[in-house]
Amino acid sequence: MVNTRARYFFARNTYLFSLLLLAILLSVNYSLQDNLFELRILNNSMRTLLPLIVLAVGQSVVIIGGGIDLSVGTMVSMLVAVLVKLIDAESSSTDIVLAVLAACGVGALAGTLNGVMVAVLRLQPIVTTYATSFIFSGVALVLLPRPGGQIPTELRRFYAGTPNGIPLAFYVIGILILVWMLLRSTRYAQFLFATGSNDKAAYTTGVPVKIIRLTTYIWAGVFAGLAASALTFSTGSGQANIGDNMTLDSIVAVVLGGTRLSGGKGGIAGAIIGVMILRVIRNVIFFADVPTWSQTLVNALIIIAALAGPGLVGLIRRVVNK
Amino acid sequence: MALTLFANHIVKRYGGVIAVRDGSLSITSGEVVTLVGANGSGKSTLSKVITGVAAPNEGQLLLDGKEVHFASPQAAKKLGITAVYQELSLVPDMTVAENIWLSHEPLRAGLGVRGGEIRRRTRDLLALFEGTVSPRLQPDTFVNTLPPDERQIVEILKAISNQPRLVIFDEATASLDSAQVDRLFDLIGEWKRDGMAIVLITHRMEEIFRVADRVTVMRNGQTVGTVDIGATSEGEIVQMMIEGASSPGDIRMTPVEVSAPVRLEVSGLHAGRVRGVDLTLRDGELLGLGGLQGQGQTDLLLALFGALPYTGTVTLAGRRIRFRHPRDAMRSEVAFVPGDRGSEGLMLSRSILENFLLPSWRRFGLIHDVQAARGAASSAAEDLSLVYSTLDAPASSLSGGNAQKVVIGKWLLREPKLLLLNDPTKGVDVGAKGEFYALLKQLTQQGTAILFYSSDDDELLGLCNRVLVLQDGLVRDELSGDRLTRSNLVAASLGTGHGKH
Repeated sequence: MVNTRARYFFARNTYLFSLLLLAILLSVNYSLQDNLFELRILNNSMRTLLPLIVLAVGQSVVIIGGGIDLSVGTMVSMLVAVLVKLIDAESSSTDIVLAVLAACGVGALAGTLNGVMVAVLRLQPIVTTYATSFIFSGVALVLLPRPGGQIPTELRRFYAGTPNGIPLAFYVIGILILVWMLLRSTRYAQFLFATGSNDKAAYTTGVPVKIIRLTTYIWAGVFAGLAASALTFSTGSGQANIGDNMTLDSIVAVVLGGTRLSGGKGGIAGAIIGVMILRVIRNVIFFADVPTWSQTLVNALIIIAALAGPGLVGLIRRVVNK
Repeated sequence: MALTLFANHIVKRYGGVIAVRDGSLSITSGEVVTLVGANGSGKSTLSKVITGVAAPNEGQLLLDGKEVHFASPQAAKKLGITAVYQELSLVPDMTVAENIWLSHEPLRAGLGVRGGEIRRRTRDLLALFEGTVSPRLQPDTFVNTLPPDERQIVEILKAISNQPRLVIFDEATASLDSAQVDRLFDLIGEWKRDGMAIVLITHRMEEIFRVADRVTVMRNGQTVGTVDIGATSEGEIVQMMIEGASSPGDIRMTPVEVSAPVRLEVSGLHAGRVRGVDLTLRDGELLGLGGLQGQGQTDLLLALFGALPYTGTVTLAGRRIRFRHPRDAMRSEVAFVPGDRGSEGLMLSRSILENFLLPSWRRFGLIHDVQAARGAASSAAEDLSLVYSTLDAPASSLSGGNAQKVVIGKWLLREPKLLLLNDPTKGVDVGAKGEFYALLKQLTQQGTAILFYSSDDDELLGLCNRVLVLQDGLVRDELSGDRLTRSNLVAASLGTGHGKH
């Protein structure tokens, strides 16, 4: 009984190991950088992390459903371009809300394109979304050939705000987790996890596998819209390749957070923690005076370790059990 | 609510292959119909048509007098028709409770899943099999931690949870042990009295006579007849299923001479669930391993094949050996035939040729002499009387019995001296079994020593001269001669016989 409960707890909360890792890394980071938790520094870090966090949340949904989306990065670039077109220094708050909705809407359309190809036409998700990523980056260039754009000063101030002494990003994260917890107790979540874990079994049980899979890509698109909004508010302007590098980071964050890359297991809390781990590792490298040229190398090693991690854990467990 | 279902002259083609040529079946509430036939005779496909998993090309389904077309399994489920599938339809990363209620979860306000309610109802369902399953089987247990028999039970409960009017059990008993089968049949009796209609697909003759009201027999995709159970006999059913099938009783191996050289000697073997096994196997002998499922038989075979770490001594043809990898075992002329041919025995998407030759490419040179290899494979296929289109067709195109022949055949090309068989006839039809038994006999006559685990008591009784009954990782009893009877086999597997330990 106790064993069953413990197993259930660990299997449901896949992010626990990542949380521990984050805590360790944070203490290392703190020892190198003692102002890490000062409000201004913390708010700065969280503000720049928020776009990737939102994007990784969308990516988690796709990965849990058994797919992968390699187009989210350029999708962000495209949607930033959309936002920059719709917002200028004089925009009212209504305009801004409408612009964010438009970005999410265009993101949903782009996600539908991916979803139809993967779920309905049954094309291979890696190749398909890699291909569509070039469409999105092309559209971004057409919309925004030169870097530019402006946003109202109040908006930038709002985004950089710390209501009640807590960085705005934490409120967003709180809302995301709350929504996820509600979603987790719906039938949609059961279908999502079933589809990612064993799509044939799900189908014979009466789960609408195609529709579920399609919706995961739409979610990724909507979250790309939110990520693009956060990125625009943070930087105050845009350029046509601003999000391109975020794809790989979003996948690595999901994996670092304990979500299984082949689907059916994980959650968004892991993705959020994963983004933070990624950032803290990079912080540590920076403050440990590692030469800049080796930072790219270290980044690549983190990615490989994150992808190989689950396999390594299994291997270690087997060796230890012997 | 009572139900009457007629499936009339169903035709189902997959591409150019006809799976069901002319399938018919009728059933009403409160009735148990067993559907029998050789593998590849179309039983599974016919039941998939009835449950909406496959759409028929021709023919009609009449439900309560009205013609129905099911677009999906959901559509059939809504009308109270469901199935316990042979290929399990469970989601490994979800719990028992989540699996049972998947897609018909009790909902709160049409949205939220009622977790507590699901657990409570699951506990009630699990109580049906109480005593035959381990106490580990709880609503919150993850399905991927369960052994095959308990997964099968979850699958059964999942079908029942929807309060269906018609349930098709597609070989649901194949991976259950005898206590679980007994319980299932008691339950089927109850469900039948409650007015459920039940179709049971099985390969076990004994089960047919235990529960069926009527028997529908299929052969080559065609329904060849339906008989009342009171008006038929085992012989007649077998006759209907396949011409000239041999029952295992006709083919008992010749006992080996005590002077035959000892091929394998094992003492004090511990591995996985095996907790100390001694045995001796002579050249040309077929030694049976019996007992309930999961008592260590598979682990014993895996250890002997170097696929599971073990302690204890193993002597092969007089030489102390210690295999660390299946490759070591293969070099010592040991072969292993796994029970799960889908995942361990065959590369389904690769050709029959490649499947045959995988263990023996070495024989055909560094740069393969494909001509010679092809010749060897086709003569092996002939020896096995394999039914296939071409050697280049994928292994997935073979029927169950023929696929099993390839699993064994690929090792025969290496001419093993010791053959380890892990429940090789599970889910194989009577006709293919007969040919398989003949093959075993031929092998023993050539001097191959065979260690044979079977979950089918008839098979052990019919083929072996000596059977070791395992219970809880120990040899509970060794049966031979007059003591090799069904009652002793059952008694020993339940641990009540004259124990050696």
